[in-house]
Amino acid sequence: MTTYSRVRGLPVVTLGEAQEIGTLASLTVDAAGGRITHIRVTGRRGRAQGAVGWNALHAIGTDAVLVEPDVLPQDGSPGPSHEALGVRVLSEDGDDRGTVQDIVFDASSGRIEKVVTTLGEVAGDRLLGLGDYALVVRGDLTAAPEG
Amino acid sequence: MNELTGARELSGRPVVTLGGDVVAQVKDTVFDGPAGQVTGFTLSGRGLLAGPLRRSLPWASVHALGRHAVMIRGAEVLAERSAVVARKEAAHGRLVGARVLTDEGTEIGVVLDVMVEAGTSGRVVGFRLDARESLVTGSRRRRRQVFVPRGETLAVSGRALVVPADAVRFVADDLAGFAARVAAFQARGKPAAGGVERGPLP
Repeated sequence: MTTYSRVRGLPVVTLGEAQEIGTLASLTVDAAGGRITHIRVTGRRGRAQGAVGWNALHAIGTDAVLVEPDVLPQDGSPGPSHEALGVRVLSEDGDDRGTVQDIVFDASSGRIEKVVTTLGEVAGDRLLGLGDYALVVRGDLTAAPEG
Repeated sequence: MNELTGARELSGRPVVTLGGDVVAQVKDTVFDGPAGQVTGFTLSGRGLLAGPLRRSLPWASVHALGRHAVMIRGAEVLAERSAVVARKEAAHGRLVGARVLTDEGTEIGVVLDVMVEAGTSGRVVGFRLDARESLVTGSRRRRRQVFVPRGETLAVSGRALVVPADAVRFVADDLAGFAARVAAFQARGKPAAGGVERGPLP
């Protein structure tokens, strides 16, 4: 398990050429799927470079993120990407549940283990959506496993 | 019983999808007075310069009314404005400012706000009143605010609405006390509901 706060700012390096293509600026979260789909890479001198899909990652280490050879970040985003850190958390009942402090995830699969908020932890399978306003999570009463 | 909230406080509350996007904010709450139910919300855009929106939010499309947001499944559930405001006679403005009479003919005050149950019911549970002296017990003669539960049926006509006379016995001074009073009011006289004569309890 690793955390968002730990990987942010790590250099992103290609596996074959050992070329540093930038630093990890943020993670793109698929809240409903409970996983991280992309890393967003910022180039040198703060130039925006785009996203790298989770499939193209080779390893997330303690000092660098290694991506497969010949991977170049795609311009733009594969969809709307909202920064998860610091965002407001709402229950699906419309009640405030604090703000996101960190995300704990599996470095190989990208599956989100839990979200750490200012008011406690939320399991990754309780996330419903991350938008421009909030991260929406399933309420306590409906936390029972479905199906 | 879910948390109670005043309809006035709902104005400005963000309307958020389960996907986490904010699509509007509540402008006004529209009621179906006789049914004692929220019909829906008119909406305005977010931000200083945003005006009223053409779309509205019918209560049937509300996922949950919460303390900090009105949750909806997605932006596609918003409907034409006419879906909510067609019933002009039941509009919010008619309830706020209306005189409140008991079914025995006593005027007990004027409606300041409509109290709504949060969550998914959308029920109107009572009113915040600017109370008449007759309703205020004790020595203080000045007007003050009280909460009064509504009856099962609520008669709204023109500028007045009628509540059962015994609702006056369940008046509360504050919101915390009001939730308990509403529960007690709804539980009262349950045996008589089936047409049984009300008499002294054995």
